Amino acid sequence: MRTMKIHYKTVLSIIAFFICGHALAEEIKLDFVISEGIDSARPIAVLPFSWKGVADRPLHDVSSVVGADLRRSGRFNPMARHELVQQVDKYQDVNLELWREKGIEAVVVGNIEEQPDGRLKVGYELVDIFRKQQEVRNGELVNVDRNRLDSYTAFVNAKDLRFHAHRIADRVYEKLTGERGAFATKIAYVSVDRSQTKPYRLMVADSDGFAPQTIFASTQPIMSPAWSPDAKKLAYVSFENGRSEVYIQDIYIANSRKRVAAFEGINSAPAFSPDGRRLALTLSRDGNPEIYVLDLTSHRFSRITKKINSIETEPSWTPDGQSLLFTSDRGRGPQIYKQNLASNRAQRVTWEGNYNASAALTPDGKTMVLINRTNGIFHVAVQDVETNTMQTLTKTSLDESPSLAPNGSMVIYATVYRNRQVLSVVSTDGRFKARLPSRQGEVKAPVWSPYLN
Amino acid sequence: MSITKLGKGLVILASATFLFACASDGQEETQTVTPPVEETTTTTIDTPPPKSAEELAAEANAETRKARTVYFDLDDDTVSSEGRALLEAHAWFLAKNPSVVITVDGHCDERGTPAYNLALGERRAKAVAQILMLNGVSSSQIKTVSHGEEQPAVQGHDESAWSKNRRGELSYDG
Repeated sequence: MRTMKIHYKTVLSIIAFFICGHALAEEIKLDFVISEGIDSARPIAVLPFSWKGVADRPLHDVSSVVGADLRRSGRFNPMARHELVQQVDKYQDVNLELWREKGIEAVVVGNIEEQPDGRLKVGYELVDIFRKQQEVRNGELVNVDRNRLDSYTAFVNAKDLRFHAHRIADRVYEKLTGERGAFATKIAYVSVDRSQTKPYRLMVADSDGFAPQTIFASTQPIMSPAWSPDAKKLAYVSFENGRSEVYIQDIYIANSRKRVAAFEGINSAPAFSPDGRRLALTLSRDGNPEIYVLDLTSHRFSRITKKINSIETEPSWTPDGQSLLFTSDRGRGPQIYKQNLASNRAQRVTWEGNYNASAALTPDGKTMVLINRTNGIFHVAVQDVETNTMQTLTKTSLDESPSLAPNGSMVIYATVYRNRQVLSVVSTDGRFKARLPSRQGEVKAPVWSPYLN
Repeated sequence: MSITKLGKGLVILASATFLFACASDGQEETQTVTPPVEETTTTTIDTPPPKSAEELAAEANAETRKARTVYFDLDDDTVSSEGRALLEAHAWFLAKNPSVVITVDGHCDERGTPAYNLALGERRAKAVAQILMLNGVSSSQIKTVSHGEEQPAVQGHDESAWSKNRRGELSYDG
């Protein structure tokens, strides 16, 4: 019997080894590691969701996904599971007094029931522990006699359960902060694993790095992915023909890749307009890197910048679609300029440091996120659009490719940590930082998707 | 001694030989020809015919041209004097062989943003092409490609890697 057991275990571990090895080869998975900024976060509790179904437990632990999302936002500090003072799944059963003693501001409870057709019925409730007596509803001050801030029931396919957890996190975030959540979104990035026959991969994963999928794999470098506003397409630069060319690919449709720019010189830095009809990009077909706008319907290119000796690149649309921010070294060194597409007048907008690049505006247009070099160190920084004051957000030193979450609350960027290129996240207020180390190879060029619906 | 330095030395040697040959040609008419002393004592050593100055120069040039990379300073597209000498050696050959086509690949280190670096890499490739053309190479013989920071020669995140990665590389097509 004893030998039998050993054999059984050996076989199991061999199987496990192959499964793990296979998974590693197939997907380059990211894990978030919180590196800084929990102290200022609000204490909440996300209780484990109850489960009624054929299997012992659901495929995914919804409450840990919700908790991890909220923690990663930097705004909340969910209580550790072993410290939870209650394990309930309904608002009625939440003991407000118990949680109040612990200083917990809000509690998330939920339940999941497997349906005869295999779908899952997911119930969720958000409880405000410190009762509000009154609140404004439709412009009127009314008495509130319940502590339930939000609730809903949804039917989801079993395979969508984990992503649905991000939607719950979005609701919690919005109810508690007043700002739309951005967890039920995707990130695209480029992974480089030189041990693979096709080392360069354009990847798409959930906003927490889960479920990475290869969108395009190549023996040659891939750069600068950019989302279409409907979050269905990616524009990117591929060197598959030995030099930079711009492609657009629908990530949900096979064989949908289209080459949109392959002129003499460089073809780079694509950026979809907010209405999705145009693509700003950089071409050096006329001898010098200049900003162009490609009309995706007529396929006509219009040249936006007209300089002779300077580099003009990294176009980024203002939220209203009327202007482009871009990087230009028409002065000494790269700086950010803003050019209105109607007047074609450009103005310089950055003045601090001798290297400012990769700029983008938050959706409210009030803050510009960019890469700033000061004393030879490259940081993610924000500049107040009104006052032009700049603030460095990061302590890492080789930052590049910053990309804003669609709600403007977080920035994902590429940096170097322990001699490897990794992705990191920093809140736009600079208070919170997290790292997404990849398990294998290097990851770069992250770009946060727009809202998915 | 690096191949570049060795190559340079040979170029100088070849040039000197060439100058000497010219000078002696001029003097030969006025000199009385004295038969060599050892004319009758034939040896079995088979001395190869002396190489012409042109052959020597070509050999030296081929040696120099084994080096195909020039390096740049941070944020800069100025070719150093050492790099310029190497490019002149390539230009000498390319000008003599107008059917030969080369590609100049411009690269950057990882610092700075990838899209800006792609443009900077192009500027470096063009700076290399410019020197080749100033030395008699036809523009139709040169293709330029920028790789930005995407193809580092050396992996690593410090100056020892960066200095090797800020480069222009020549490759002969075909």
